[in-house]
Amino acid sequence: MSDTLEAYFKQIEDQGGIIIRDTPRLDLDLYIQNYRGRTRWDRLFLIGRTSTRLCVDALKAAVAEAKRGKDIDRYVQAVEHLRTVLPTDQDAVLDKSWIERTGQANRAETQRLDAELKGYKNNLIKESIRMGHEDLGKHYEAIGDLSRAFDAYSQMRPDVSTPRHIVEVGKHLASVSLQRRDWVMVATNLNKLSGYQNGEEDKVFQPYQKIATGIALLGQEKYAEAAQCFLEADSTVASTHYNEIASPNDVAIYGCLLALATMDRNDLQTKVIESNNFKSFLQLEPHLRKAITQFVIGRYSACLAILESYRPDYLLDIHLQRHVAKIYAEIRDKCIINYMVPFSCVTLESMNAAFAAARKSVEPELAAMILGGKLQARINKIDGLVTTAPIKPRLKVQKSALETARNYEKEAVERLRRMSLVAADLEVRGLRRHLGGGGLPQSMQAQMSDLGYEESSA
Amino acid sequence: MDQIASVLLSFPPSHELRSNNEYNDAAKTHVRQLNQLKQREPELLATHAPQLLQHVDAAINSISYAYLLSAIYHSDTKNSHLPDDLAECTATFLLTFDARQIRYAGGPFSSILDFVQTGQLLPASIAVELLASALLRLDPTGSMFTSHHLPLVILAYQTRNTQQILPLISKSIVFYPGMRGQTETRPLCDMRLASSAYISIESGMTGRVSSAEVMEYDLVCGLVHLYHRDWASAAAALERVVTFPTRDGGCSTIMVQAHHKWILVNLLATGLLRSTASVAPYVQRSLATLSKPYVELAKAFEKGALEGGAEALRAEAEAGATYWAEDRNDGLVREVLAHYQRHHILRLREVYSKIGLEDIRTLTHSAETGKPLDTTSEVEALLRDMIARGLLAGVVEPQGHLTFLPEGEELTEAQFAAELEKSAQHIRDLAPVVRATDERLATSRDYVKHLVKQQNKKEDGAGGRTSKSTSWDMGFDSQIEDEDLMTGLQVAGA
Repeated sequence: MSDTLEAYFKQIEDQGGIIIRDTPRLDLDLYIQNYRGRTRWDRLFLIGRTSTRLCVDALKAAVAEAKRGKDIDRYVQAVEHLRTVLPTDQDAVLDKSWIERTGQANRAETQRLDAELKGYKNNLIKESIRMGHEDLGKHYEAIGDLSRAFDAYSQMRPDVSTPRHIVEVGKHLASVSLQRRDWVMVATNLNKLSGYQNGEEDKVFQPYQKIATGIALLGQEKYAEAAQCFLEADSTVASTHYNEIASPNDVAIYGCLLALATMDRNDLQTKVIESNNFKSFLQLEPHLRKAITQFVIGRYSACLAILESYRPDYLLDIHLQRHVAKIYAEIRDKCIINYMVPFSCVTLESMNAAFAAARKSVEPELAAMILGGKLQARINKIDGLVTTAPIKPRLKVQKSALETARNYEKEAVERLRRMSLVAADLEVRGLRRHLGGGGLPQSMQAQMSDLGYEESSA
Repeated sequence: MDQIASVLLSFPPSHELRSNNEYNDAAKTHVRQLNQLKQREPELLATHAPQLLQHVDAAINSISYAYLLSAIYHSDTKNSHLPDDLAECTATFLLTFDARQIRYAGGPFSSILDFVQTGQLLPASIAVELLASALLRLDPTGSMFTSHHLPLVILAYQTRNTQQILPLISKSIVFYPGMRGQTETRPLCDMRLASSAYISIESGMTGRVSSAEVMEYDLVCGLVHLYHRDWASAAAALERVVTFPTRDGGCSTIMVQAHHKWILVNLLATGLLRSTASVAPYVQRSLATLSKPYVELAKAFEKGALEGGAEALRAEAEAGATYWAEDRNDGLVREVLAHYQRHHILRLREVYSKIGLEDIRTLTHSAETGKPLDTTSEVEALLRDMIARGLLAGVVEPQGHLTFLPEGEELTEAQFAAELEKSAQHIRDLAPVVRATDERLATSRDYVKHLVKQQNKKEDGAGGRTSKSTSWDMGFDSQIEDEDLMTGLQVAGA
């Protein structure tokens, strides 16, 4: 690896970015073919900043991708990154004339669309106004001015006339929000549309809605709901209807990982593996299917091993990257908990064999899980055993009953006391300071120490 | 003198006083006579009082006895004429007086308490015990705060005679002098009366108190509990100060001082930093600013040794040394440091059932040094100390490990029922207090006003011209009542 590349990634690492040094399994060209639209550049750029192996290829592809579009900012950004990594490359020089040309064209286009829109507004033709706004929104989106694009799309709303238009507006807004990573906005806009999917024509919209909602929920760390969304995405619709946000492979990956992290054994079996709808997605990622099967039949270490080998790939995904560590940790915790279920007592040795890396112990991890309340167990370090903690429901009930009674009494007394204090006009007041007590009298102040208490402890 | 004696002995009369009203009338007449006597012939009363004391029984003629004692204390010729057995007489009186009678002699009774509090007559240890028992004798429920409480606990705390006041300060106080809206029509001698009815400023049993005094009382109670190393009670007492009702953005230094101690005591009692969510937001802000070093200390305490809690705690303790010393909390902070390792050993129970001493040594560090203990034998000594103190339910096995014993046995059905019954009884005991408070609130100005308003609304809602005039009448009535009570309020506020 060259020095410049090393320095580049060092800098990213210092800023808290994620870096992959292993060789991922994905092939950049094949991978990016699955997508269309602005997400292509986003994904390429992310891979360029994350993977040390694919960095140069990805950034060069990003430069080319940006140059095909109209977004000058993206082009400049990609070139700058490429220049830090590989200053000698021919693509690493800003194409000034292209920037100027594109900038001019963009400004002209904006003016033209604005003028057109004004004309439509004067004519008061609803349909034209709506389309004028849509064109303007699309233009802004293409040149990367997302907040204006959002405004333009929002202004389509007063002039909609058919349900189809409403769907279009929602889709545009969701798409822009997705690019701005405004997860709440994505979900709100898509939720509004859930009632408009009756027609045959609108069926093709179902996967888009499910997937975008799923991604939004994933962004908000609502894993269980997100998993549900991905599993419900209609697999019969061609991927061209939603590949500006995700590929079918992505759907399979998101769905499987989230399901593994949040669902129990039965649900995994019935809702994921045996699901007719999700089956076709699963076929795209056979190793994940295997991982889930291993989990279901109780071979947790095999399941974890498969997931671990694909970790670099998932870290290169634009939506998954920030969540991989958390999702993996949850899957691992779930494996450990499920491993313990059939036993009342397990040896630490067998746990280590199943879960620990070579020559390491799972014990600290177990201790953390027990402390976190995820696992009801106690570790016997002397005999090397992990025993499930006996839950004594009677003891629990008795304790809580007595506790409640005592708290009730305490609270009752406290309320009475406060009522009396207020009735006796003894509250501490802010306005008249001297009344509120400017502290203790000097004579007492000296005595207020814990001196007495010290003597007793001495 | 004989005449005086006859007055003194005229109550209680030889015949039985059957009803409360009869008793009330007789006692009032008696008090009137005594007051006349005191006004007309104070000299005579004071000079003869020492002799008269011999003829009056403290337990039977409590009112007269109280008047005589107070006359002796207040005679101009004090000191020279004090009879030799005055101390003994006072002690007998305070231990045996008739709680029903003494309700009529609030003034003299108060002055006796005040005099004993000065410590001129009796050594502090005896004075404290006598006063505490007298206050409890007067009000066995201990639910009423008086102006005698604070000087008493301060005296006890300053002279280290804290054992004797524990029964008094362990009672929950729910009434305070000067509460508005008290309308008690039953005679003073009615034994069913709540203590707030017969201990009042008007009866002379207590003086007016300020909020600072009330807070200081609870603060000193907290200090007394600290002295006895009763962390839970101390925390409860300090909590009463921290959560003291405030208004208009008020916050008192006493509250802040109590908050400091409260944070430390909670660490000792439960090992947790408790939030002050129940106090007003502006008080929370003040506390958060003024208690920052303490909060930081508590945060470090909550962290385990592996997260660097021990070193952090030690560093915080050292960094804040001047704070602790200024607030006179250095002793408590030292205690917190010493408790750190114990607390974290106790928490190991949540994870381990058996654990080697070496593991304990590495998993829990001492906050006093910020390092693990040097040898396992030190760990063992610490564990044995904790087990001996009853802090830890466990056994140190000879093979060199600790076995945690199961915590808390299940109760049998009968034991459990008994425990619950105990709690229920406590709550039932509160019923008279609730009733008294309820009566007071129901007759308070604000509530009556609210009620009138509600009624007006209802009638307006029902419509009709006739109802309007009545509502107007009621509005007028309430205006009058308003004014009456306002004057009362101004007096109370002054």
